[in-house]
Amino acid sequence: MADTMSIADYLARGGVLSNPENVPPRYRAELMRLMATFVDSEMAGSAGFADIINEAPGIAERIAAARIVLEKADHAGRVLAVMAEFGADTAKYATHQPWTARLARDADIGPTRSGGDMRLSVFHYPLEGWLDAVVMNVLMGRAVTVQLAEFSRVSYQPLAEAFRAILPVETRHAELGEEGLRKLLEDGALEAAQASVDYWWPRVAASFGAADSTRLDQQRDFGLRHRSNAELLADWRADTAALLAEMGLRAPG
Amino acid sequence: MARFHPLTVTDVQKTIRDAVVVTLEPDDPAAFAFLPGQYLTFRHDFDGEELRRSYSICAGLDDGLLQVGIKRVEGGAFSTWANEALQPGDRLEAMAPMGNFHTALAPDAARHYLGFAGGSGITPVLSIVRSVLAREPKSRFTLVYANRAVNTIMFREELEDLKNSYLGRLNVIHILEAGGEEIDLFTGRVDAAKCAQLFRLWIDVEGADMAFICGPEPMMLGIAQALREHGMSDAQIKFELFASAQPGRLKRRAVSAAAQSQGNTCAATITLDGAVQNFTMPKDGQSVLEAAIAADMDAPFACKAGVCSTCRARVLEGEVEMIANHALEDYEVERGYVLTCQCYPLSDRLVVDYDQ
Ligand SMILES: Cc1cc2nc3c(=O)[nH]c(=O)nc-3n(C[C@H](O)[C@H](O)[C@H](O)COP(=O)(O)OP(=O)(O)OC[C@H]3O[C@@H](n4cnc5c(N)ncnc54)[C@H](O)[C@@H]3O)c2cc1C
Ligand code: FES
Repeated sequence: MADTMSIADYLARGGVLSNPENVPPRYRAELMRLMATFVDSEMAGSAGFADIINEAPGIAERIAAARIVLEKADHAGRVLAVMAEFGADTAKYATHQPWTARLARDADIGPTRSGGDMRLSVFHYPLEGWLDAVVMNVLMGRAVTVQLAEFSRVSYQPLAEAFRAILPVETRHAELGEEGLRKLLEDGALEAAQASVDYWWPRVAASFGAADSTRLDQQRDFGLRHRSNAELLADWRADTAALLAEMGLRAPG
Repeated sequence: MARFHPLTVTDVQKTIRDAVVVTLEPDDPAAFAFLPGQYLTFRHDFDGEELRRSYSICAGLDDGLLQVGIKRVEGGAFSTWANEALQPGDRLEAMAPMGNFHTALAPDAARHYLGFAGGSGITPVLSIVRSVLAREPKSRFTLVYANRAVNTIMFREELEDLKNSYLGRLNVIHILEAGGEEIDLFTGRVDAAKCAQLFRLWIDVEGADMAFICGPEPMMLGIAQALREHGMSDAQIKFELFASAQPGRLKRRAVSAAAQSQGNTCAATITLDGAVQNFTMPKDGQSVLEAAIAADMDAPFACKAGVCSTCRARVLEGEVEMIANHALEDYEVERGYVLTCQCYPLSDRLVVDYDQ
């Protein structure tokens, strides 16, 4: 057929790319960056949670934590496999960063990335024990669900499919967190839980990125984003605040 | 790193005027186990310069063959060569099959698949049609196949044969751009309006499980839109796009003779998103990526360790030293592609482009 159209137009009208051959250079760079952010966050999240397994107060909790560690590593692997089709060296990638490294609890890095990897800033803060890990998992779990729903629509079909497969499993991780938190609250941990919520709330919020991200327009034209950081953040705030309220906890400001 | 495996051409059939079906016999058949809908990436040397091109496998899982269909693109290097020079006995090299244009088949599934193909986009769809008919005896397939004219329809007879072998399970709707047919539904372009018409009268989209689309960009957009309007979700629509961002025949890179090193600094010109920046950078201690970022450019990177290739760019002029490279292949490096996070200037002048 004679009627062709530029890839830029095609993408701007909602077109889907299906393999590495289709992908123009600047799209490739944005796509790789998006994938690296996800992979590094899952690797760092999994690594951070691994230490928490031994603090689990019971067998069910131990299994839940171990499962989260396992499945987040699996999710990193699935997206890394998509990166590999663009040439990334997966074996070296999986070990090129110390995924367990954390900053001080009171470091203040806002939404900026630090160190050598692309993990979301929230994964630079250390977990302090079981309860803290559970609260972080509830708040971040909800954030991941909102973010993955957005990224399940990316215009690179192999990645969209990976995210669509990952979304229900991550949703389950957030639910495991909720179950754990309800149990802790039944045992009277309200005050400690509130302190953890106060600590993690702004840090998870920052993981949605700057409200005025300059990159968003280009990502939108590429079909790699559809909604803005501010819109996603607003969804998370409303959704998570309601959940906390129902548990007798309060979302800060 | 990508590995290429050798194959022998055992047959080259001219089907329509400007397309050939090439049958291949791998030295190592295990390396070419494929899923219907996947493609092979070949490499071939044209006057000392390697080109890579992808072609979808058109054989079905149970045909016992490895076959691709190559349509000649006007002025196209690889496709013209394949159509005019390729002969039985020739040796080729290809990577193991790749691609995600497929769905898992289950012998007891009773599904209704839709396929939409434009021109040479028939190749991966044909592989899926053949495999579904053979492996899922209770499933059926409706194929909408768009072509310019009757004499440009690839695999027309093969499709007829399949219809006859699997009575009632394969429905083929030909749509021709240039007339000939009486009913006007079957002529013109396949766009959203045409699909709406088809879906009203001929195709039960609501009862369909999965759709495969492979064709030119506007056709893909129109069909996807129509399918979504009829309730199909993104997860039910599979796309394969033949568009290639692969570099064509080389415009040789200008490596200026005066590129040898003199001072300790380098005059760099860097292009990103169409914007050009000029600045001076030291030859030591700062990578090209870091220099670009220091100059307030939003240059792409992820690992900064030479393993992911996010920071890839092309050197158009000058020389760099790349201290580590775990992500680019030799043929890319030959064309001037570098990992900017691992690159330090050697020449006094350097021109780098992130947009190529
Ligand atoms: C995943 C994938 C699967 C593919 N499967 C098949 C297949 O099964 N059968 C098949 O025939 N092709 C297929 N292609 C297309 C094929 O890979 C080449 O792009 C095509 O054959 C042109 O290559 P070339 O070297 O001959 O032309 P080039 O030398 O690359 O291009 C010459 C000129 O033609 C233009 N051009 C390039 N490609 C096209 C095109 N597709 N349509 C119109 N103009 C074009 C270029 O812009 C350029 O001006 C597939 C592509 C991809 C990415
Ligand atoms: S940023 Fe990963 S290779 Fe340069």
